Amino acid sequence: MNVTAVARSLALATLVLSTDASAQRVIPPVPAGQPDLSSKNWIAGGGRTEFNDFVYTADGKKRFDAYDFKKDDPAYGCIGASWTRIYLNPNVVIQITQKVDSVRLQYEWMDIDRLVPLVDPTSANPRRSNVPGHPALGYSAAWYDGDTLVIDTIDMEPGYVTTMVERAGMPQSRRMHTVERLSRQGNVLTIATTHLDPANYRTPVETVIRYQATDWELMKYGCTPEEAAVVAPR
Amino acid sequence: MKLMSLGVAAVLVASVGVQRPTAHHSVPVNFDQSREITVTGVLTEIKWVNPHAHFRINVTNPDSAVVEWLIEMGAANTMRRAGFPMDRFMVGDRLTIIGNPGRRDRTMILNETVLPDGTHLTPTMRPRDPTGAASSGE
Repeated sequence: MNVTAVARSLALATLVLSTDASAQRVIPPVPAGQPDLSSKNWIAGGGRTEFNDFVYTADGKKRFDAYDFKKDDPAYGCIGASWTRIYLNPNVVIQITQKVDSVRLQYEWMDIDRLVPLVDPTSANPRRSNVPGHPALGYSAAWYDGDTLVIDTIDMEPGYVTTMVERAGMPQSRRMHTVERLSRQGNVLTIATTHLDPANYRTPVETVIRYQATDWELMKYGCTPEEAAVVAPR
Repeated sequence: MKLMSLGVAAVLVASVGVQRPTAHHSVPVNFDQSREITVTGVLTEIKWVNPHAHFRINVTNPDSAVVEWLIEMGAANTMRRAGFPMDRFMVGDRLTIIGNPGRRDRTMILNETVLPDGTHLTPTMRPRDPTGAASSGE
């Protein structure tokens, strides 16, 4: 990290984001050698969302066709279906906190709080962490590749890459291996994700989702299955 | 159409063809965004919750039967950020709701509501464009 970056990190240590009446946070300095992903909060709307032209396996297509939005969406139980599903949610804030040995990503959607250890990417069996209560989100380890935060996730329970729009029901099996690459371009945070799941896809599924910097603070989401499952009159 | 066959006081207003942001159980998946309807009824329940705020309203059909509708909105957090005046709604209010019909009977997503005093509100607190794209879409 050069002198300018160090100075910027120190300055950021005292920067306080404006707030929507929730508690203000004091932003800790970005550790030396890490890109600054945390001096701003992030909200969806940083640009176009992209899906590549992936190819299902026969079983994957069957699972996709069998998806029933009226009962299969894990959100009815306040549960994250996959990391991409979480990033696809509009209008919610993500807050990132960077430390020397970990990175914390707090997602307003479903109050998901993810503390991921930073590891040596060459390690055969790196330390990983999960998000209790969200089994489809697996176990993650992270590292920096230049200015990009890489998060590698395995050991997921079955879920759905997305439950939204025409791709609702794209399946995720226990064999899914997800790699998120988060990088900042000024006021845009780009999340490029590769999903490898040979049980459901013959080719990688690649998504690019862009967030924009925001002065909004995280708000409590407080989802309860009793309320989330209300989808019809009595 | 099944929704219309219920005979409730829903009026097909216009066809719209808008793609909006989507979330939770996904607006395009759960609601027919090619059509817009208007329902008038009495507010019986208000829930400012995430991922979807909702109203329940009692609607009187032409045959005088009273049926309940579920009116979904975006996330309460999103509506708070937009400055939506939640305190202006009270159980017992007679509301007019304009929105897209759900794929479940007697459901819709709110695009605009008209309060008893005639005030028009959208979830984003921005005027709707002619295509009805003001819904927060969650």
